Amino acid sequence: MAPFDDWNKLDDDEEEELQDSSLYEGKRDVILFCIDCSPSMLELYEDPRFEDVQTCKLLTALEAAMQVQKRKVLVGPNDAVGIMLFNTTKRNENDEAGADLKKGTYVYQPIATVDAPKVVELMQLLDEARENPEKLAEMFPPMPDKKRVPVGDVFTSCNWVIRDGAPKTATKRIFFITDEDNPHPGAASSRLIASARTTLIDLVQAGVTVEPFFISTEEKPFDPSIFYSSVLLATNLADEDGLGEDGEGQILPESISIGQIDELLSQMRFHEVPKRALFSVPFTLAPDFTIGVKGYGLITEQKRGAYRYFADLGDRMEVVGSRTAYVDEEQETEAEKAQILFGMDLGAPSAEVEEEGGDEHKEAGAGTRSVPLGSRVFYTPDEVRSFRTLGLEPGIKLLGFKGRKELAFEDNIKHSVFIYPDEMTYSGSKRTFTALLRTMIKKKKIAIVLALTRRNSSPIFCAVLPQEEKVDESGWREPPGFHLIPLPFADDIRSAPIEKGFRASDELKEAARKWIDKLVVKNGSYPPDSYPNPALAYHNAQLEASAFREEFDSEAFEDLTEPKYDMIHKRAGQLIKAWKQAVHEDETANIVAAPVAGTKRKADVSVDEAEIRSKWEAGALNKLRVDQLKDFLKSKGEPVSGKKAELIERVSDWLQNHP
Amino acid sequence: MPAERAGYTVTMFLVDTSPSMGKTREVELPGTNGRDPEVIEMTNLEWALQYVMLKIQEMIFNGRKTDKCGVIVFGSDETKNVINEQHGGYENVVEYIPIAQPNAGTLAKLAKLVPSTVHGEPIDALIVGIETQDRFLGNKKTWTRKMVLLTDGENPMEVEDWEATAKKMNELDISLAVVGVDFDDEELPFHEENKSNIKKENEEFYHTFTSLLENGVVGNCDFALQEISRPDVRTVKSTMMPTILRLGDTQTRDEEAIELVVKTSKCTALARPKSWKRFARRQLTEKEKAEAAKMAKMDVDEEKLTFAQLRMRTEYYIDSDKNKEERAPSVDGDGTDDEEERQRAKEEAEKHYTKVEKEELVRGYKYGASFAPAPEGGFPKLQTRKGMDICGFFNRKNFRRELSMGEVYYVWADPANPMSQVALSSIVQAMYEKGVIAISRWVSRDNMDPKMGVLYPTVFKDVDCFLWVQMPFAEDVRNFPFASLETLVNKKGEIVTDHPYLPTKEQLNAMEEFVDAMDLSDAGEKDEEGNREPWFDTRLSYNPAIHRTKQALFHGAVVRDLNTHPVPPPHPELLKYFEPPRRVLKRAREAIEECKKTFNVREVPKKVVRVRKDDHVRAPDEDEDMLLLDQKGSARPGPSQSQRLTQGKSFAPSQSQPQSQSAGSLAQKKKAAQDGDDDSSATEPEDEEDEDLLLNAPRKDRAAPLPTPARSMSPDEVIDRRRAPGRIVGASFPLEDFRKNISRGDVVTKAVEDLAFVIKDVISRPFASRRFDEMLECMHELRKVALQEDEIDAWNTFIRELRDTCMEQKPGNKAFWDKVRGIGRPLSYISDTEASRQGGKSDISESEAAKFIQE
Repeated sequence: MAPFDDWNKLDDDEEEELQDSSLYEGKRDVILFCIDCSPSMLELYEDPRFEDVQTCKLLTALEAAMQVQKRKVLVGPNDAVGIMLFNTTKRNENDEAGADLKKGTYVYQPIATVDAPKVVELMQLLDEARENPEKLAEMFPPMPDKKRVPVGDVFTSCNWVIRDGAPKTATKRIFFITDEDNPHPGAASSRLIASARTTLIDLVQAGVTVEPFFISTEEKPFDPSIFYSSVLLATNLADEDGLGEDGEGQILPESISIGQIDELLSQMRFHEVPKRALFSVPFTLAPDFTIGVKGYGLITEQKRGAYRYFADLGDRMEVVGSRTAYVDEEQETEAEKAQILFGMDLGAPSAEVEEEGGDEHKEAGAGTRSVPLGSRVFYTPDEVRSFRTLGLEPGIKLLGFKGRKELAFEDNIKHSVFIYPDEMTYSGSKRTFTALLRTMIKKKKIAIVLALTRRNSSPIFCAVLPQEEKVDESGWREPPGFHLIPLPFADDIRSAPIEKGFRASDELKEAARKWIDKLVVKNGSYPPDSYPNPALAYHNAQLEASAFREEFDSEAFEDLTEPKYDMIHKRAGQLIKAWKQAVHEDETANIVAAPVAGTKRKADVSVDEAEIRSKWEAGALNKLRVDQLKDFLKSKGEPVSGKKAELIERVSDWLQNHP
Repeated sequence: MPAERAGYTVTMFLVDTSPSMGKTREVELPGTNGRDPEVIEMTNLEWALQYVMLKIQEMIFNGRKTDKCGVIVFGSDETKNVINEQHGGYENVVEYIPIAQPNAGTLAKLAKLVPSTVHGEPIDALIVGIETQDRFLGNKKTWTRKMVLLTDGENPMEVEDWEATAKKMNELDISLAVVGVDFDDEELPFHEENKSNIKKENEEFYHTFTSLLENGVVGNCDFALQEISRPDVRTVKSTMMPTILRLGDTQTRDEEAIELVVKTSKCTALARPKSWKRFARRQLTEKEKAEAAKMAKMDVDEEKLTFAQLRMRTEYYIDSDKNKEERAPSVDGDGTDDEEERQRAKEEAEKHYTKVEKEELVRGYKYGASFAPAPEGGFPKLQTRKGMDICGFFNRKNFRRELSMGEVYYVWADPANPMSQVALSSIVQAMYEKGVIAISRWVSRDNMDPKMGVLYPTVFKDVDCFLWVQMPFAEDVRNFPFASLETLVNKKGEIVTDHPYLPTKEQLNAMEEFVDAMDLSDAGEKDEEGNREPWFDTRLSYNPAIHRTKQALFHGAVVRDLNTHPVPPPHPELLKYFEPPRRVLKRAREAIEECKKTFNVREVPKKVVRVRKDDHVRAPDEDEDMLLLDQKGSARPGPSQSQRLTQGKSFAPSQSQPQSQSAGSLAQKKKAAQDGDDDSSATEPEDEEDEDLLLNAPRKDRAAPLPTPARSMSPDEVIDRRRAPGRIVGASFPLEDFRKNISRGDVVTKAVEDLAFVIKDVISRPFASRRFDEMLECMHELRKVALQEDEIDAWNTFIRELRDTCMEQKPGNKAFWDKVRGIGRPLSYISDTEASRQGGKSDISESEAAKFIQE
């Protein structure tokens, strides 16, 4: 088997094709938690989850921050997080970062790549706060007399914190958490709104997005229109409607989250990964009829983080980078990237030719090709790319429409991509897109398109599945848009290797139907949220334990994807038993498969399972012949490799596991 | 016919090299990169050989040891074949390439074939082919025997006894394909005008001949070439992997639980284009270089470039630069990252790298910025049990198609176990009728990561099975927030119903018309009953990248020069779904016009990136300056740098021209800067870098500059002009150097002195005779200049010394002096008479001059 580290290594060419996920990893994400620390946030109440535990909104917000940190560390190990509090009298000391911030704001954790000590520090604070509910109020004393920091000052401080800590190329976001919908009542309100707005524009122009999380309670519902809707802008300047459209686009930013404090974490989960487009391309509906769309990967396999190599520098472990070089092995020289050309594998010289071949063959030794001066037999990278793209430029081209039913279950090869209109490249995209979406939903149609989404990929055909906008009870909005489902090519389709088989009688089918009826989830669908990836969670739990230098307790691990056996047996156990009985008594089922005509007849080696079991119980498995053991294992779908001793062991294992 | 076994085949190619095959034809080539198609001329032989080469290339591509071929040439000047050796006869037939598994050498040898001066007999070649093949195969009865005959049919044939040959071929079960140059073909359709009678008869004969064969066909070469690039799907038979389908707790509640032995196989499997191999020009070692130089002098035509296949190697390094964030390469949102920029950033970064050996490294994971050690081989994996567990059922209507994540699998009952088949069939049918699908968890092997998916009941004509596709885990779904497209809320919290983002009624109507008109369900070909079928079928849609890449790979491996033989256009079959069907577009024309009008979509001009107010301003990129500079180096020829490189050395002299110019001007610029400011190296660091780039980058494969530090920036060092230290005229191109220096005007004395030195130097070297004429030319020029520029004494001294060098000293070169003497007076001393005519002086009299050259 290949050494461990070769497993994940992608072939170069695949790399070009599989760029989807690397996009997410290539860019770093920076989140600054900006949490209100006013008395109302510190007000204690009974924790709904635990008895006799008091909590406060600040505690919950910090816990959410801690959870996000823990998840960030796994999803994007290079991402950075910071925590800033406002409306507190706590000040940063002179020698720490953030000492020059506006009064009333305090940097608890400056922006830095998440690491274990940082998470531990926050966890300890949370633990202490749970034991001693006054702890947070002591640590971060709120400003007295209901005084509040102007929101503009808060944004200015955020700007400074981000400027100090965030790399320039990262996506930068502020998670703004408050429960006060009217921070500035009174006369100065309009001036403060103006200043808040100006400082926010500064932030946006520095490439920072503010994502507000407003906490609403029954006693005090949060009304964004009092203050914040005049302050907040559309989410992302480059992404959405922009600043210039103030006049017409009087639409609230999309990402305001208003909810109960308990929902904070789940709301943050939606925002955990920054929304980034995979591509932005023109969508040609017909010649000269083109709109702009952006593509998003809503479904992407989350793999466990890749291991890295570290060098032990004595005092610390430094991560080692890797670089791929292309070398002429015979001469041990490395080729420069600009000089690399592309051609076909020259193939190993066959033995026969080698023998008869004279000098000529020696000259053109293995792995080299000689060409006369001035002629060219290799391709440039550009040419190679054009063979892959067939000279197309990135874009999506509509080919026509088909009925929704034409999209077969088996016409799948890759995950889908979601597309949403992009008004910034073609004005009028949104209305056209919406009209197309509505029409296709109404007529139950899918579209067939030719898509080349990236300059380096190759054209594919996709089915375009409309998704209607829906809001479910929890307030989660099913986004409106199209799913681009890559269709398999003829080259990808494999025919069924089996064309004929024994079929069940109607009675048997009815018997099966009975237990299926009991196990159908009413109005159910496949619920991704119910199935966290157990292998990934198991890995991450160990990783976390390793980082915190703790012991990993594998016993405590729970795999949520395992079937709910108790429920199955309770509901359908008896019916399944009946069906099994029926299968065993079924005539067709007991046909002895006729030997395939024409093949040599082998001596009848088949041994009954019962016989093998009795041999096993008697400890006499070694009395059986190898072919008999193999036959048995084969019928159970077990491997048949190895020596007799191994086979016997495998048979015993199987019998052990299947009493 | 039973399915042909792949491999286990010997194909004989019989190639006609009669003089008539040397007739040239015009072949239209596609314009590359949007250029107009080109027409090039090639011989019929060259053209037809492409077919053979592509066939052989396919064999190389598949790399089967049991797929062999041999080439027999008829109409050759020589005779060399097995029958002739034993029995004589069968003249002009040569076993050109013995039967073997082909490789790149086979193709190279084929490419050397040229038309001969005698014509050959196809039937002889056939018989030799049959015999050679038969002897090779000996008792390997099961091998497939194929024969391909390539001819233009222009030569008279002896058509006797051919029935016996046909009979023999049928006995041996040999299939024959006659590929004819310009043979008439009804289907193509093709009809050759002015066809000779001989060819008409021959074509007739081939048709009769093949009709007598059990496996024989005659085809037009053009058609054959076209067909060979037709996409062809490699059918892969999926392996059936055993697994276990379970429902319920089979370990402790066995009675009420289900366990079925099932097999899975792939239903769709992502196929990728064949990978390209990387090559680079091999740099010669010093010794080889010297040899090559020698070779080049003797036989310029034979000079070759060698390209070596590259292998990938991973190197590890520690980045000691702590500011790496600052220059982290930026990645554009739309994926159009600037490759060059990144490359540059990389180079910049390399300065801080310390290379480390892999053996010294520890494996671990990053937990944010912290190091998390991991045991050898990674963390222990989750313990899982092989099998497919059913977790529950849900209504098919609620299935969300867009969640399907990957390849689709079949799940079959064990074909050897009727009970398993019946049991699975009952579940599939019950689910199918009820309209439900099952959620299932699949572990492909013990302790492999589990995957969630759905089992979809599928009822085929004679068998029932499941299809399985992977569904996302919670982590795999990204719930990005998107703004509503339907509900727009203004800042007052009111819902807006009239907005440019919302389609109007009129627009919706236009869209409905459009969608109806663009329907594909009746846009395809007509079926047998005359009903139109839907347009677009996945089973007929070929992956263009795979087939185009393969075509290009093959082509590149077969042709001698891509400059003259560019890749032919992609097969039409690859592009058939690239545009909506014409029928549909025609039908939708009005609807499209209406849509364009009512929706009025306009492309938004790209905005200039706004300068940010704060200090997050993008640092000016060195790259930008570079680009400008590149343009300044005006005479930059069209093709990209890499392309020019591939064109190799022969282009070097002409290439060096523009570059040395631009470099020269740079050098001058620098010189000027130096004059003004002594420590200019500090003030103009950028310039220096640029020069470096311009001069060295494209020529790294050349010799390092000679150790002439004062002029190391001079362009001339790049090409070795073999200038001795301190000399401005080199031994390589003395005349050119001399003239250039003279034209500058200020270094005449030096130039004259140096050329004189070079001439003496050259003629004292071994093999100087090659350059006699060149040297004489130099002397004429030198004398002319000496006379005009009042360097008369220099010439007179030179010519005297030259005679001494030739006649007296060792090694001497009497032969050269004889040549000079042969020319006589025009190369003698410059006499007083001559000098005075130019306003100069000489202390040599006319008679002295005349006498000197006679001695």
